[in-house]
Amino acid sequence: MKQSVLNFSTKTVVAIGIGAALYGLLGNISIPLIAQTALRPAIAILTIFGAMFGPVVGLLSGFIGHIITDLTWGGGQIWWTWVVGSAVTGLGMGLVSMSRSFNVNEGSSSTSHIVTLAVAGSLALAVGFGVSSILDVYLYGEAPDKMWAQYGFATVSNVIVHLVLGVPAVLGLLKLNRRNSNLKVMK
Amino acid sequence: MNQPIISFRDFSFQYRSLSEPTLKGINLDIYPGEKILIAGPSGSGKSTLAHCINGLIPFTYGGTITGDYTLRGKRPADLSIFEISQTVGTILQDQDGQFIGLSVGEDVAFAFENECMPQSEMRPLVEQALQVVDMLPLINQSPHDLSGGQKQRVSLAGVISMDTEVLLFDEPLANLDPASGKKAIELMEDIHQKSNKTMIIIEHRVEDVLEQPIDRIVVMAEGEIVAIGTPDELLASSMLQTHGLREPLYVAALKYAGVGLAKEDHPTSLELLSERSEVRERLSIWLEKELDITARSASEPILALQDVKFSYDGERDIIKGVSLHIGRGERVALLGNNGAGKSTLSHLFTGIAKPSSGDVLYGGERINDWSIRKRGEHIGYVMQNPNHMITQQMIADEVSLGLRMRGMAPDAVTARVEETLRTCGLYGYRNWPISALSYGQKKRVTIASILALQPEIMILDEPTAGQDYKHYTEFMDFIVSLSDQGTSFLFITHDMHLALEYTDRAAVLHDGHCIAQGPTSQVLTNIEAIAQANLKETSLGKLARSTGVAQPEQFVRHFIQHEKKVKRDE
Amino acid sequence: MSKSGTLYIEGDSLFHRMDGAAKLFMFAVWTVFVFLFQDIRIFVPLFLFGIGLLIAAKLPYKRIRFFLWLMIVFNLMNCLLTLLITPAYGSKVWGTTTVILNLGYNVLTLESVFYVLTLTLKYMSMMPITLLFIFTTHPTRFASSLNRIGVPYKIAFAFSIAFRYVPDLQTEFRNISNAMQARGMGFGKGEGSYRERFKHFVSIAIPLVQSSLHRIETVSNAMDLRGFGRHRRRTWFSATAWQRADYCIAVICVIVMVVAIAVRMNGFGTFWYPFTSV
Repeated sequence: MKQSVLNFSTKTVVAIGIGAALYGLLGNISIPLIAQTALRPAIAILTIFGAMFGPVVGLLSGFIGHIITDLTWGGGQIWWTWVVGSAVTGLGMGLVSMSRSFNVNEGSSSTSHIVTLAVAGSLALAVGFGVSSILDVYLYGEAPDKMWAQYGFATVSNVIVHLVLGVPAVLGLLKLNRRNSNLKVMK
Repeated sequence: MNQPIISFRDFSFQYRSLSEPTLKGINLDIYPGEKILIAGPSGSGKSTLAHCINGLIPFTYGGTITGDYTLRGKRPADLSIFEISQTVGTILQDQDGQFIGLSVGEDVAFAFENECMPQSEMRPLVEQALQVVDMLPLINQSPHDLSGGQKQRVSLAGVISMDTEVLLFDEPLANLDPASGKKAIELMEDIHQKSNKTMIIIEHRVEDVLEQPIDRIVVMAEGEIVAIGTPDELLASSMLQTHGLREPLYVAALKYAGVGLAKEDHPTSLELLSERSEVRERLSIWLEKELDITARSASEPILALQDVKFSYDGERDIIKGVSLHIGRGERVALLGNNGAGKSTLSHLFTGIAKPSSGDVLYGGERINDWSIRKRGEHIGYVMQNPNHMITQQMIADEVSLGLRMRGMAPDAVTARVEETLRTCGLYGYRNWPISALSYGQKKRVTIASILALQPEIMILDEPTAGQDYKHYTEFMDFIVSLSDQGTSFLFITHDMHLALEYTDRAAVLHDGHCIAQGPTSQVLTNIEAIAQANLKETSLGKLARSTGVAQPEQFVRHFIQHEKKVKRDE
Repeated sequence: MSKSGTLYIEGDSLFHRMDGAAKLFMFAVWTVFVFLFQDIRIFVPLFLFGIGLLIAAKLPYKRIRFFLWLMIVFNLMNCLLTLLITPAYGSKVWGTTTVILNLGYNVLTLESVFYVLTLTLKYMSMMPITLLFIFTTHPTRFASSLNRIGVPYKIAFAFSIAFRYVPDLQTEFRNISNAMQARGMGFGKGEGSYRERFKHFVSIAIPLVQSSLHRIETVSNAMDLRGFGRHRRRTWFSATAWQRADYCIAVICVIVMVVAIAVRMNGFGTFWYPFTSV
């Protein structure tokens, strides 16, 4: 059932909302390294929701979720530039689910899907945070050198979160949902 | 009689992902204005039937349909889910899941908003609907400030406001404490009388629903309708018992006492029954029978609270000086309504919360300063929903998780896991993925994963929630077998049946105070405490009182012993 | 956050009475305005004006304290970091170099200190409006306001769902993590290696996500059963009508925006430095 991009099914709307709530909530848990740069376990939520529901849910969960985090933890500031970064990241995380044979709910995936998720997600982080950093320089007037340092740090640390936390969590969910035949009660 | 509003003819349904049909050959007519109870154990297909009635099948859940289902003479395939929802209003089991709005008023207005009704028109309608469920003063409240029962009433208002002809309640009692459940059933009857809407109640807690009049009961088992009849007909028969449903306790007691029940005796009315002299005589004879089960002797306390107080904000105490103990090998029920402080008390035991004054004692030692982890080595805690605890794919991995985290040697882990799985009757499934297990089996896995750590005492939060009578009995018998091997248990629950049948002692918590404590049969017949804590007396106590054949406490004790004997003889 | 997950503070100021959409518009204009300029002479008055508005809204200081504190920490960190990494960046901006300290790998210049001051004030001038918006707008008004300024209602409603379930998910998260700790799982320092602690997060994520998926199904069923998404638009129970004040403020915002863009187009408002003659 293909619909116009903005005419979401109810389930998509709810997935965006719940994904955003989770991302926003877990955004509070971070191991701060430097300003706006921290190991954020929440990134794994984008990995998971992107993989399960696709790029649109990934994008909007990232966008809304980041705003929710900033409402409490932004120190009276919504970091629009990084909101955009989260949105781009979520979009990239969802690319893998465009493949028909990949379905987390039914536990169907191949190695190449997982590789795609890992690579596309990492690239999305690099691109998304790149966009954020560039916007920071142009909109806030941040020093470019400092931004590059911050960018490198943010990207590397969150790619780690994506690969060490997000992708394994998706693998875990795939395994949980894999249908099993020939189950016998053993003695 | 006029045309049925809902009609199933040789109807079958098979979910797309399953290999067997979930509903088989359903024939059922429901007429306008009827009040119907559809009862059946888990997996009987009753929820699937509800999905067919409200249109979630076929619009959300795909599958194969054979036979016919018509709603006001129309097939759902010719309608949309929106059109169906204008005839059938559904109240779901999960009160949080269906409370979508950020305030009470907004949630009631949800359907109006979707219909693009102008704001000025919806306000009076919303207020009217809230008036019906007696929630109007709370119109601006956020859902987080409401109890489960209140949320359910808001959802009900939302559905009433749509003025649908049919109201469908999907397990309305599942997440409610006894007092809220009783209120909910009364409210349904009230609405039924005033509006004469068709009401369909899906529920396995038959006794609670039957406190108010019901026209017909439909009993389902394994995807088929096995019986349809008036409550009197079904209570007089053994259909409920046969199909894994629990009869009202007083009916069970009368049957034990050898009182023959026919539908003409109106077994739905405890009052009418207790007026009959035959009933009194039979009960008296039954009560004289010696039952040689001795009470378990008291043991030294393993875990205790001593005059514990607790407050979140340092100003208002949530726990106002509670003393409580659980003996070694004992099974204790901690009863109380939602909001009485039960979960806070369990947090005090497990170390999630620290008392502001008073002591937590473990085997006599003061453990106020122990961390959650350290306490976890001695005090196991099992959450209500097994899905909140399970993190691994395979059963063996889940059970060994805690051991591995404690750094136990792999050989020792394997041996311990094997032993635990055998104890829990899961050994045959050791290489199964957890996803292939039923809810009850998952629950067992979570018990096993805690049991493997060999705690001296386990705290179980609402252990039987969401389980039907058959699974509930199986599960609790399993717990009893563990307790006979020396583990102590504390059940945090508002389920009076659970306390009645499976615990030695009970404590009643109300508003941060422990208002009664003692042998279960004594506590559960203490009407003042029960009423104060908003719990519900079991119908056994009522039967004892209205027939006057024995003291309620003695009557209840006799009943439990009889049940144990029946079970032992089986 | 309060128990209900909202930051809204009951009150009766102009901002409390304003319609959410008007506030949202004002918020957007303010943000773009700040983005346009790099001039401390604009940020200082803007910040003071913002503080004035905050005071007028009579928000209790107790609730705002935390945000101020967070902002101060952030700005200090950001300044330090900037000065540490590019201690001479300010000189690049203004083309003059006034050395105050030799750091060895580079020199710290007065220009840079002034630069981070400008940057800090830029950040700070965003704070009052954000706080005003957060504290005076009830979450029920939020979705309808977004819808009114042109966001498709389904996206606006996703915001509403997110606000609705943050507190529920928070409780669930806490329960799961407590149960895991009781089983011997450690998250804090000294409770296992980094690798182990990280793995423990996966262990919490799985049940949390599983139950969230279940929740998504229930909520979307409940919404379908009550006609969500049937029409191309929807009305909102808690929407408010625009009053004269709302129109006035919107008009002022438009004027300010136009003036700001005109000023900026004429080259005014880039980095300004008081100690050089241009």
